[in-house]
Amino acid sequence: MKIGVLSFAHLHAASYVQNLLAMPDVDVLATDPGHAERPGESGGPELAAEFGVDYVDSIDGLLAWRPDGVVVCSENAHHRAHVERAAAAGAHVLCEKPLATSVADAEAMVRACAEAGVHLMVAYPVRFSPAFTALREAVEKGAVGAVRAITGTNNGRLPAGRAWFTDPALAGGGAMTDHTVHVADLVDSLLSGTPAVSVYAQSNRVLHHDDVSVETAGLVSVEYENGVVMTVDCSWSKPDTYPTWGGLTLQVVGSAGVADMDAFGQRVDGFAAEQGTQVWLPYGAGADDALLDAFLEGIRTGVPPQPDGMVGVRTAQIVEAGYASAASGQPVRL
Amino acid sequence: MRNTDGPVDVALIGAGGIAGVHLAGWLALGARVRVYSTADAERLVAGHHLAEVAPSLQHALDGADVVDVCTPTFAHPDVVLAAAAAGCDVVCEKPLASTSAVAAEMVDACERAGVRIFPAHVVRFFPEYTAMQRHVAAGGVGDIAVQRFTRSGSRPVRDWFADDDLSGGIVMDQMIHDLDFARWTAGEVERVFARRAVGPDEGGVRGVVSAQAILTHASGAVSYVTGTWAAPGSTFRTTFEVAGTGGIVHHDSVARAPLAIDGGAAGESRGLLPGTAFTESPFLTELRAFLTAFRGGPPPPVSAHDGVQAVRLAEAANASIASGQAVELSNDDVEVLA
Repeated sequence: MKIGVLSFAHLHAASYVQNLLAMPDVDVLATDPGHAERPGESGGPELAAEFGVDYVDSIDGLLAWRPDGVVVCSENAHHRAHVERAAAAGAHVLCEKPLATSVADAEAMVRACAEAGVHLMVAYPVRFSPAFTALREAVEKGAVGAVRAITGTNNGRLPAGRAWFTDPALAGGGAMTDHTVHVADLVDSLLSGTPAVSVYAQSNRVLHHDDVSVETAGLVSVEYENGVVMTVDCSWSKPDTYPTWGGLTLQVVGSAGVADMDAFGQRVDGFAAEQGTQVWLPYGAGADDALLDAFLEGIRTGVPPQPDGMVGVRTAQIVEAGYASAASGQPVRL
Repeated sequence: MRNTDGPVDVALIGAGGIAGVHLAGWLALGARVRVYSTADAERLVAGHHLAEVAPSLQHALDGADVVDVCTPTFAHPDVVLAAAAAGCDVVCEKPLASTSAVAAEMVDACERAGVRIFPAHVVRFFPEYTAMQRHVAAGGVGDIAVQRFTRSGSRPVRDWFADDDLSGGIVMDQMIHDLDFARWTAGEVERVFARRAVGPDEGGVRGVVSAQAILTHASGAVSYVTGTWAAPGSTFRTTFEVAGTGGIVHHDSVARAPLAIDGGAAGESRGLLPGTAFTESPFLTELRAFLTAFRGGPPPPVSAHDGVQAVRLAEAANASIASGQAVELSNDDVEVLA
């Protein structure tokens, strides 16, 4: 099977490339024509050589290779154009999250892939983490009874190493764009795609206010059609010197019990004497390989994998409504 | 307060769960306590030789230095007004009243009567919270950007808690602790939005209730406060996180339990009230701070004004739940206390 990696703008590309290269029946080709627009940042053929992956200079070159699937890792605002080009070339698409920076773009991407007869999957790896898989199984078995309320956190450091993450034109926004969607995707999965009906959000730029023009902290409250309420803290509130990039937690309150999940809770703690810093050593199965497996399995079997483009649309709706609500100070009905 | 030397005479009104905790606190402070309640007063004082049952509210108030109001919320105003009329200083359980207007009237009545009233927002005396508050107030996290407070435990079984008209529901009864604390650390609140999920009662067991509020502070900081009345047997648990330009502090009562016992007789929930750290009871700390203030000492870390404002926040959250809209709060008329 031939899998193309389109752009190294999102550094998740590194993990995807390494996981794909480790798969015996997969050929990988990458392109990163946008690296010239990221001065001072890694990219292009040099980064491809570092990864040990074959490289072409253009998207046309990548698509002329006739890949079975393409993994789109470009800046959020470029997702639509790149997904549409890959779909038009007949390639199934795995698109880095968030699917798009607007609901209209997300819907257009779903249409384009449907018309081309290719899968559109959104890269929400936490859905494949062992902790969430176990949580979903427990909830499905009724471990907490009927789900009533959910709270989530997805906090991180200010994204570093890629300037576009805090460029509103390329990222679509700040912390609310970056960190609402993972939790929204997990809740979408737990609630089997039940749509949101109301979104309220508040945000601020207290953190890093001199460095960036986007919001760096946000709280997003969602009510779903079945009455379940959810709040997510999507803030980039971990200090730059925090022991790791951040984390993701979910609490599910049910009629019979409460479940708490820490997606990155498996770790050894320690302390480094010389550096005077905490040591965190994560362990256990990663999620990116399972995410890629699901994408490849979809290509092999023809069965569209989850989370699909519609999940991308529903999570984009929450983010878009969140921005409208933060601007108006009132909830937005969907 | 009339009596500043010998044992303080306390009229404890009410004999429910919190009254027992307060009784123990007053007795530890060397108080003489008379308990008046419409029920259970005999049971409450049994075995305490410095506590006695008063036959009526008036008998309890007569000659008391301090009245401690531990009745259900709906009975607070009448008792507080009676206490003020009797010239007694007042400790009143939270919420002061079910509306901020009534709470403000109660505070005004105490002021006119020349007595003091302190709301029993005991979380302001819990050591993990005060450690955090002191750190934050000293600039330990810089400017606050985002705060989270959560509180969950088994749903209270007494009927009046389940009646929104009597208790104000989970927001007014339970979340108010954290609404108060969020305001203490991040300042006045300009906008409140809240949602609440209420599960149906099943098999004679009350359904789970969970409320989620988002506060927008005048400083620009945002806070989320979650309160859950969970299924029977659920562990009481509180968490908080305060993140700012200079760092983060957080706490989880389950993760930071200094002692855990598994198996044996430990399989039972600790019930409605939080387990406390290995230090003196925060309820005792609270009552001592109030008594010290009544006797002319420094003010406690919670004022009558704070109690009214906490009710105002809870009231706004309940209004938001009812209307589905965010509620704007004007702070123009809020007296700023240094």
